[in-house]
Amino acid sequence: MTDTLVVQNLRKTIGKKEIIKGLSFSLREGEVFGFLGPNGAGKTTTIRMLVGLIKPTSGRVSICGYDLQRQFADAIRHVGCIVENPELYPYLSGWENLEHFARMLPSFSKERLQEVVHLVGLQHRIHDRVRTYSLGMRQRLGIAQALLGQPKVLILDEPTNGLDPVGIREMREFIRLLAEKEKLSVLVSSHLLSEIQLMCDRVAIMAKGEIIRIDDVETLLKEQARVYWKVDSLERAKNILANETTVLETDGMLVTGYEASQLAVWNEKLVQAGIRVSEIQPKLPTLEDLFIELTGGETID
Amino acid sequence: MKAVASMRRFFLSCLIRFIIVPWKQRKGDSVKINSVKIIAILSVLASILWGYGLVAMVQDQFFHPAASAPLKNVAKTKNDHALHLVALGDSLTRGTGDETGKGYVGYLVDDLRTKTKQPLQVTNLAVKGLRSKELVEQLKQPEIQRQLKQADLVCLTIGGNDLFQGGESLRNFSPQRIKQTEHAYLQNLETIFRTIRTANSQAIVFYISLYNPFQQLNNGQITSKIVRQWNYDSAEVAARYPNIIAVPTYDLFELHTNEYLYSDQFHPNKEGYKLIGERVSALITFAKGEGK
Amino acid sequence: MINLVYNEMLKIVRKKRLFIISAIIAVLVGLFTYAQYKHVQDVQKRLGTTDWRTQLQQQIIDTQNRLNSSGISEEWRKFLKIRLQQQQYYLDHNINPSAPGAPTFMRMFVENSIELFLPLMVMVVVADLVSSEASGGTMKLLLTRPVKRWKILLSKYIAMGVSISFIMLALVVLSYAISGAVFGYGGWNLPLLTGFTVQGEELNTANVHLIPQWKYLLIELGLASFVAIVVGTLTFMLSVIMRSTAAVMGIMLAALISGAILSNMVSSWESAKYLFMVNLRLTDYISGAAPPIAGMTLGFSIGVLAVWGLVALIVSFFVFITRDVY
Repeated sequence: MTDTLVVQNLRKTIGKKEIIKGLSFSLREGEVFGFLGPNGAGKTTTIRMLVGLIKPTSGRVSICGYDLQRQFADAIRHVGCIVENPELYPYLSGWENLEHFARMLPSFSKERLQEVVHLVGLQHRIHDRVRTYSLGMRQRLGIAQALLGQPKVLILDEPTNGLDPVGIREMREFIRLLAEKEKLSVLVSSHLLSEIQLMCDRVAIMAKGEIIRIDDVETLLKEQARVYWKVDSLERAKNILANETTVLETDGMLVTGYEASQLAVWNEKLVQAGIRVSEIQPKLPTLEDLFIELTGGETID
Repeated sequence: MKAVASMRRFFLSCLIRFIIVPWKQRKGDSVKINSVKIIAILSVLASILWGYGLVAMVQDQFFHPAASAPLKNVAKTKNDHALHLVALGDSLTRGTGDETGKGYVGYLVDDLRTKTKQPLQVTNLAVKGLRSKELVEQLKQPEIQRQLKQADLVCLTIGGNDLFQGGESLRNFSPQRIKQTEHAYLQNLETIFRTIRTANSQAIVFYISLYNPFQQLNNGQITSKIVRQWNYDSAEVAARYPNIIAVPTYDLFELHTNEYLYSDQFHPNKEGYKLIGERVSALITFAKGEGK
Repeated sequence: MINLVYNEMLKIVRKKRLFIISAIIAVLVGLFTYAQYKHVQDVQKRLGTTDWRTQLQQQIIDTQNRLNSSGISEEWRKFLKIRLQQQQYYLDHNINPSAPGAPTFMRMFVENSIELFLPLMVMVVVADLVSSEASGGTMKLLLTRPVKRWKILLSKYIAMGVSISFIMLALVVLSYAISGAVFGYGGWNLPLLTGFTVQGEELNTANVHLIPQWKYLLIELGLASFVAIVVGTLTFMLSVIMRSTAAVMGIMLAALISGAILSNMVSSWESAKYLFMVNLRLTDYISGAAPPIAGMTLGFSIGVLAVWGLVALIVSFFVFITRDVY
């Protein structure tokens, strides 16, 4: 697997305030990379630096081997992106919008246009004015324009923002499809952990302009997942479980770490000791939990 | 040089893209009019025109040889059978003081229109504050000459500004200065009459003489005397020329001076102008006037 | 590059601005044609003649009388004096400066619209050329294409030039077609005088010469397009700097209107001649009217406008290329 997008020590200072404090990461071919962080963590600023909308104060972004600063046109040719909402020209039709952006590429063909329209499933409404489109359709048109130039890297800022549940699922599947079938590297930013979990292979967690951690989604979740136990005798159950793992007590429930293989064993021990277990509830950590965990109690602002 | 070459390339590619290619495509495609292309082509062509305009401007305005172009004369057109009235002179002929703006010329014309069905063309060339010397100058202008040539009737007031000089001359007058002024004035008047007669030997000229606006002031006696003398001498000059009639107004304002004067105590008001207009009108009879 | 320009033209055309402007021009031309027609009729009725010499002579006398009335400002007096000399010159040389006909109407329309109307129309098209992309969010899409930023801005600037050319074309065609229906379509070869220079209160006629009306018109149109380009460039710069189209329009409107007002009252504030808005009436130099401030000449005004335009162009490119887009 090769790295398509490499970011090295990226910084941005506005005035005296350092907004992005030295990011480094890279995207591999065919993976979906999540960018997770609360609002204001610097996700959008970082993404804008990746596509050349904002000039970094220092650091380097290279795409498919081209330096974004020095070889802008060559580098950006391999990137398709939607930054924030997909805002297109409402007074043009979807097709005209695509043509408009296609004309800005070094070369384009009608066939490619048809292809992306089919890919996002917009062939029935493509000649209507964008003004009449629903948000989901605009989102899809946005992706169509991002895919026009056959990019190696797709950068999507909050792609499911404002979509209905069906739309969110479609979008997710679509993104996975692009990564797996077309071998694209997809960078997705989100402030929802559940979304990242369902979509991404790897994730970078950002807070206050820094990447706190980069890891596989599974590893990260496993570490942080919790199991809640509802039992009739709290004290005794706590003693028993404490022998096996670390136990906390909250709101009349016991909390342990999540270890899939061990759950049944622990339960058996409790039952054997005559404790009635009425609920075993595995819970994914909330983003807040993750942050508290990773930053050592630092809150999200 | 490079810029020129790239410009040419630009235009060429314009041509190919917007004209030749669409033209070829039209054979295959259905005829679909592309308004954007049409507008773009028209505008680019038009911009050549504007560019030429700028070039022409630079040539014409900055590098034009100082030779003056020959100006041809247009044949004179004596207008139809309308009766031409030309009014000359100072603020009295202009109508200063009459809030309707008509002045005696206006009332005269109103009167004449009731007397005849003949179309009437009025040209009022009077200028406020005009003195005899300036009128002499004005009459030299070719267009004024042309107007005079066409005239059937000429009305004229002049001298008021020479004599009164805005009221100053009479307030602290000296007989010596008045005499000088009058002497110069009479010479100018002579020139004026001569010029009019030379330009047009037929037209009837009404020379409207002065009244005394200062009649009721404390030295009214003296000023009246001066004005009478002035009018008499002017009438003498007029009498030397055929068809130049000196029309007196002195008597019109003699009795009720203030009732006929405008608030500046110098120009006539509406009523005053009406009196003058009626007096001139009375002198014009159409049985005779039309005969010529 | 041609593709980029085509894109920009497509957007301008699709916003329907050009059609609205053409419609406005058509309506205004109709109004002015009617007004002019009424005016001509009125003058004929008042003077009882269609002879232009009589009319012009009457105008001269009227001007003289106005000059002699007290209480008119010094600037106005100067202006009248110069106009008087000019009218007298026309009369003496037997040239009718307002011979009826569509070309004459066109010429007057161009002369009267160069200061305010034409710049306003240009502003309507140019004001949102860049700012609408910024406020609509499409700027982000535009700048993440494999095209350098300066090329994108240049394509917009070229599209601006093309649109201005179109506006001028609409102005010319519509005013010719509509006014011609009333005044007739002839009169292209009417000789007109140009080359007047104003020196103090005197009109210098040493350089005066005759040119046919079509050439006169062409020169005026060239100047008008120059003014339109400069005003367009300034609007363009504001459009680059600001996201809000309304703010762009507001500032330009204020500048243009203040220019129209200032031209009538700045004669004592001499350094005002370096402001672009008092230099817009370029056609006045061709017809020989007095400039608002003593010492202003055609070359000077063109120079001032060119400098303003050039600075605006440099600023807009600099800002556009270096700016971070949020």
